Amino acid sequence: MTVARREKAIERALLVSALSAVSMLALIAAFILIEGAPVMLRHGISSFLAGTRWAPTKGSFGILPMIVASVVVTLGAMVIAVPLGLSCAVFLAEIAPRRAANFLRPAIQLLAGIPSVVYGFVGILFLVPLIRENLGGPGLSVLAAVVILGVMVLPTLIGIAEDAIEAVPRTYKEGALALGCTHAQAIRRVILPAARGGIIAAVILAMGRAVGETMAVIMVIGNAAIIPCSVLDPARTLTSNIALEMGYAAGDHQKALFATGVVLFAFIMVLNSIATMRIVRGRR
Amino acid sequence: MEEPTVEPKIAVRGLDLYYGRFHALKNIDLDVRPNTITAIIGPSGCGKSTLLRTFNRMNDLITGVRVDGSVRLDGQDIWTGSLTPVQLRRRVGMVFQRPNPFPLSVFDNVAFGPRAHGQRNRRVLEELVEESLRGARLWDEVRDRLNQPATELSLGAQQRLCVARLLAVRPDVILLDEPCSALDPVSTLAIESLMRELQDRYTIVIVTHNMQQAARASDESVYMLLGEIIEHGPTSQVFTNPKDSRTEQYITGRLG
Amino acid sequence: MSKGLGHSTRAVSASWLAAAIVVAMALAGCGGRGGRRALVLAGSTSVQPVAELIAEHYEVEHPHHSVNVQGGGSTAGVRAALEGAADIGMSSRALKPDEVGLEPIVVARDAVVLIVHPSNRTTDLTPEQVRAIYTGRITHWSDVTGPKWSSDDRRDDIITLVTREEGSGTRSAFEEGVMAKADITPRALVQDSTGTVRAIVASDPNAIGYISLGMVSSEVRALTYGGVQATEETVEEGTYALARPFLLLTRGAPSGEAGQFIRFALSDEGQQLVVRAGYLPVRRLDP
Repeated sequence: MTVARREKAIERALLVSALSAVSMLALIAAFILIEGAPVMLRHGISSFLAGTRWAPTKGSFGILPMIVASVVVTLGAMVIAVPLGLSCAVFLAEIAPRRAANFLRPAIQLLAGIPSVVYGFVGILFLVPLIRENLGGPGLSVLAAVVILGVMVLPTLIGIAEDAIEAVPRTYKEGALALGCTHAQAIRRVILPAARGGIIAAVILAMGRAVGETMAVIMVIGNAAIIPCSVLDPARTLTSNIALEMGYAAGDHQKALFATGVVLFAFIMVLNSIATMRIVRGRR
Repeated sequence: MEEPTVEPKIAVRGLDLYYGRFHALKNIDLDVRPNTITAIIGPSGCGKSTLLRTFNRMNDLITGVRVDGSVRLDGQDIWTGSLTPVQLRRRVGMVFQRPNPFPLSVFDNVAFGPRAHGQRNRRVLEELVEESLRGARLWDEVRDRLNQPATELSLGAQQRLCVARLLAVRPDVILLDEPCSALDPVSTLAIESLMRELQDRYTIVIVTHNMQQAARASDESVYMLLGEIIEHGPTSQVFTNPKDSRTEQYITGRLG
Repeated sequence: MSKGLGHSTRAVSASWLAAAIVVAMALAGCGGRGGRRALVLAGSTSVQPVAELIAEHYEVEHPHHSVNVQGGGSTAGVRAALEGAADIGMSSRALKPDEVGLEPIVVARDAVVLIVHPSNRTTDLTPEQVRAIYTGRITHWSDVTGPKWSSDDRRDDIITLVTREEGSGTRSAFEEGVMAKADITPRALVQDSTGTVRAIVASDPNAIGYISLGMVSSEVRALTYGGVQATEETVEEGTYALARPFLLLTRGAPSGEAGQFIRFALSDEGQQLVVRAGYLPVRRLDP
C-alpha cells in the first residue's frame, strides 16, 4: 500500500517536472511572440521579412539580410562539417581500433565543451587576419563564420552520426563482406545507406546548432546588416542581430529584436521537427 | 573416404583456433568433397559455426582470434596463399542464421555483389538477377516485385533471396550457418530442396541444429564436440551406425 | 534557471526554488553585500568603467557602503533611474526632450576620436570627409588622401569601415556630431564594444573606426577632426566638435547615499579618477 502510494507520488513528481520543462518552453514562446508580433504586424510582415534596410532607430525593420546570412552561414558550415564529420564518424565507428576510438571520441566531444567565446577569439586572432591577408576583404566575413561554425558543430554531427552508424545491424556488414565486398564497399554501399535517417538527423541538428550559435559568430562575421555578395563580405545573422543590439535597444527597436527572435525560433523549430521525424522514421 | 582419389574442395589440416585464451577449435582435420552437401552437427558451443566461419575468414572480423594450422581451398592455403579475404569470399559465400537482406529493393540486393565487383551494364545485371533468382527458386514469387524493399518479403523468401544474392557472385562453395533456424517448416523444406538442386554446381557446407535436416539433406555428416571432430562419414552411416559412442548418444538423445 | 531545471529529476521543486531565487534577486537589484542594500548604478557602458573606478575608491573611503555598477546602455540607464531600478542612472548622451523627471549631473566629458592603423598616412579628416566615408560615398583611401596613401602599394586600399551597434552611446554621439541625419552605410562592420573596434583598427591597415578619447592606445593612431586634435583643452573650450558629457542621473535632486556618491565623483579625488580612466574632468584640478 505505502509502496504503491510512493510509486504514485514519484510518478506525479516526474509528471510535474516534465510539464515544467514544457511549460517553460511554452512561456518563452508566448513571451517572444507577444513581444515581437505587434511590431511585425504594424510594419507589415512582408516588409519585415523581405525588407533589406535595418535601421531600427530610424524606423526601418527589414531583416532579410539577416535571414539570408543565417541561411548562408549555416549551409556553408555544413559544407565544411558534413564531409569532415561523416568521415570522422565512419572512422570512429568502423575503422579505428577500439582503443583509438575510445581515446578520440572524448577528445572530439571535448570540442563541444570549449566556450563559444574561445572559438570567436581564436577566429579573431588567427582566422580573420589569415583571410584578410590572403583572400582580401576585411577578414571579418561570412567565410570566417562558416569555418568557425563548421568546427563548432562537429561534436554534434559526429556524435549522432556515429551512433546511427553503430546502430546499423552487424548482419548487414557481414552480409556484404560475405559477398566479397571490401570493407570500404560495405561502408559505402550498405552501412551508410542503412544509417541514412540518423545521419540526416545529425546534419539537421548540427544545422540547428549553427543557426543558433551567437557569440562566436558575432566576433568574426563583422555584423554588417547587408546581404553578402561574396563569402569575403561581412554579414549579420539573426542571432548576432539580437545579441548585438539587445543591450541598448528600447521601444520598437527592442520589439523588432524580439520579432527577429520569433523568426529564429521558427527556423529552429522547423529544423528540430525535421530531425525528430527523421530519427523516428529511422527507428522504424 | 569412399572415393579418396577425388581432390577435396576444402582441406583442413591441424587447425587450432583460439578466442583469446579460449581454445575453440582443436586440431581439426577435415576434407570437404566437391559437389557434396556436408552437414556439421553438434551441441551448442561445440565450435561448428566457428569452423564454418573459418572457411571464408569471417572470424577475422573478431578481435583476439588466433589460428594455427592450414585450410586449403582447391589446394591453395587461404592464409598464406595469394588469395585475399575479399577474393576468398567471392569464391566461398555464406548464408547466415537470420535472413539479412540489405535495406534495398529485391533487385538491388541480388545485383549488389556484381555491382560491388564492378559490373555496371544494366542488361548483364538484369540477366544475372533473373538467373540467380531462378537458381534460388524465387523468381516466380518476386518477378513482379523486383523494385519493392526486400525486407517486405516473408522470412523464408528473404532467406532464399540471400541465397540468390550469393549465386549472383558465382561462388564455388556455399556455407550455410543454421539457415533455417528462423524459418517455418515449409520454408525449411524449400531451402533443403534448393540445396539439393544447387549441389550439382556448388560445394555446400551447412551447420545445423536440426538432426532431421542433417539426415534428410546432407551427403556427409561431421559431428563435433567441445572443439573437436568426433566423427565424419557418410550421413547414412553416421546416423544409423555411428562408430563413436558419443555420436550415438547425441543422435539418439536428440532423436529419441 | 536552466541549472535548476537540469537537476530537476531529483527534486522537482528545486527548479521553482531556483527560479524564485533568481526573481527575488532581480527584484532586490542583486544587492545585499553582507545584508546591506547596495547603491546601484546602471546604464551607459561608456560611463561604466569610470563609475566602477570611482565606486572602488568610494567603498574604501566609506567601508560600510557598497556600490554595484551595471551596464545596459544609456537608454537603459535613463529608464532604470526613472523606474527606480537603479539609484543612479548613467548616460553618455544628453537627455532627450521626453526624458523628464531626472536630474542630470555632468561628472566627466568624453570625446569621440577617429582612429586608423598606425601605418595610415592620413592625419586629418574634415567633417565632410568623415561623413562621405561613413555614408559609403568614399570607399577608397586613395580618394581621401590621393594615391600612395601608405608605404604599401595600392593593391587593395578599400576602406574597412568600423562602427558601433545601433543604440550605443558612442555611436549616437558620433552620429549626432558627424552624420547630420545621414545613415551610416550598412556595409560597415558593426562591433558591440570599444575594445573590438580598437582591435580591428589595430590589426587592419585599411580600417577606420571611432572610440572614446580615453580608450585610444598606441596600437592605433588618432586623427584630428576638422584640424582640431582632441585634448582636454579643445573639448572644454568646445573647439573639438565630437565631444559628449558623461551624466549621472537621479530622480529629483540627489540625496542620501546617491548624493554622497555624486559628491565624491565631483571631488578632487573623484575627478582625478576620471582622468586616470582616460576621460576629461569637469572641474579644473589643483595641481
